[in-house]
Amino acid sequence: MDLLAQVLINGVLLGGLYAVMALGLALVWGVLNIVNLAHGAFIMLGAYLAWHLYTYLGIDPFLGLPLTAIIMFCVGYALQRGLLNLVVRAPMFNTLLITFGLEVVLTYLAQLAFSADFRTINPPYAGNGIALGPLVVPLARLMAFGVAAVLTVGVWIFLLRTRLGRAIRATAQNLVAARLYGVEPRHLYAVTFGIGIGLAGAAGSLYGTVSQINPYIGATLTAKCFAISIIGGLDNPLGVLVGGLVLGLIESLTVLYVGATFGDVASFGILVLVLIVRPSGLLGKTA
Amino acid sequence: MTTAGAPKEREPLLVVNGLGAGYGGMPALRNVSLEVRRAEIVALVGSNGAGKTTLLRALSRVIPCTGTISFNNDDLVAKTPDEAFATGLVQVPEGRQLFDRMTVADNLLMGAYRRRDRAAVANDLDRMYTLFPRLGERRTQLAGSMSGGEQQMCAMARGLMARPQLLMIDEMSLGLAPVVVEQLMDVLVEIRKQDVTVLLVEQDIHLALSLADRGYVMDTGSIARSGAAKDLIDDPAVREAYLGLA
Repeated sequence: MDLLAQVLINGVLLGGLYAVMALGLALVWGVLNIVNLAHGAFIMLGAYLAWHLYTYLGIDPFLGLPLTAIIMFCVGYALQRGLLNLVVRAPMFNTLLITFGLEVVLTYLAQLAFSADFRTINPPYAGNGIALGPLVVPLARLMAFGVAAVLTVGVWIFLLRTRLGRAIRATAQNLVAARLYGVEPRHLYAVTFGIGIGLAGAAGSLYGTVSQINPYIGATLTAKCFAISIIGGLDNPLGVLVGGLVLGLIESLTVLYVGATFGDVASFGILVLVLIVRPSGLLGKTA
Repeated sequence: MTTAGAPKEREPLLVVNGLGAGYGGMPALRNVSLEVRRAEIVALVGSNGAGKTTLLRALSRVIPCTGTISFNNDDLVAKTPDEAFATGLVQVPEGRQLFDRMTVADNLLMGAYRRRDRAAVANDLDRMYTLFPRLGERRTQLAGSMSGGEQQMCAMARGLMARPQLLMIDEMSLGLAPVVVEQLMDVLVEIRKQDVTVLLVEQDIHLALSLADRGYVMDTGSIARSGAAKDLIDDPAVREAYLGLA
């Protein structure tokens, strides 16, 4: 029983991190109709950025997170403005090709720059945990979960309540009408992609504190983000939070009861199941 | 003759001269000239394919054109769609084009996207809820879930939120019940009182001319007839042009 409870705690904490990883992918997908296959690579870059800030400048990964996110936002804005605006309304195949190319380039640049060695960000409190009776809540994971929850809700409020967020939603729903009322799509797309990549950067900082990083983690992370976005639906960020929690719990439980190698089998099995039963996501409207 | 005399004294807001436009070499507009004066309601009528929507698109600067367009003594031909919009030329598009999965309030706020005067925007939002009480009741409802008439109200209110000098409404009555159309017409009279000029583009010739001060009848890409709405409504030539019998 204690073991199950501990696994559930770990699963929920992992799920929060998954949610913030997928948030940027879902946002870009929903608004720009670009499935960004390089999303995981940007998470990887964010993790390396946080690792460098910590290792060479001594900046704590949680304190450095806003800086990482802002730098990655700028990278995302520039990429969209200079490259990806070419494929915004293009057929899906073109966007997949260009983002796949981006993922390959980023991965190999990272390998050249950072080597293939495994890295971890190990702040002094990394091994600490909060004891709850027989259970332990790992501190770094708890903090990562907290930041993830704040970011997810923050993005939700931003989209719902601010002028820019409203314009982002409007452009996603009806480009013609949005242009009619003075929305400048190229700028707006770049801001959206920037936010998506900024979130990837933030997720990368968090990921680096709870897991090992190397240049090749991108592809697997993209696949997980993709699954979470599908499970949660693209309509609102809270769906992504649900998707992340579902995936985190299922993976943790599968590892406990079936075996460590079956985690990914279970998560992608769920993805297929959701696509069959509720194609618009768990929280999505059945059209 | 309560309305026919008054507009003559008003200064022109929009003056179009010798306008031509087309799609890929096929001319859709030929030598169109028209004038809209301040606080007028002008009807632009004609059958399907007469070039009404093309004219609106040329005015909004979405498609290239020849000739001259003067709006508020400003030359529009050289402007981009954004710049034309910024001068106060606002369109309520055919088919309403609402943001279906956004609330009524969010739709209206999108009309004010370019405005930075937050207090005045909040004020205008309240004004819209007074002008369209139904929208006030449904302000938190998703726009796509409302009836056709309510959606048209929402589209018009969204246009008004941009503080237009000229509101161009494309096919306002299309697919709506007569009783709903009457409500919308009352609103047009009301917003004219608030000094908004309206260009009403309609297939329903009788409806548009019964409400407007003046009218232009389009037929196959050019203006076939123009004059006071009251005169046009009884003009047999208008019916012919409209029905394509001329």
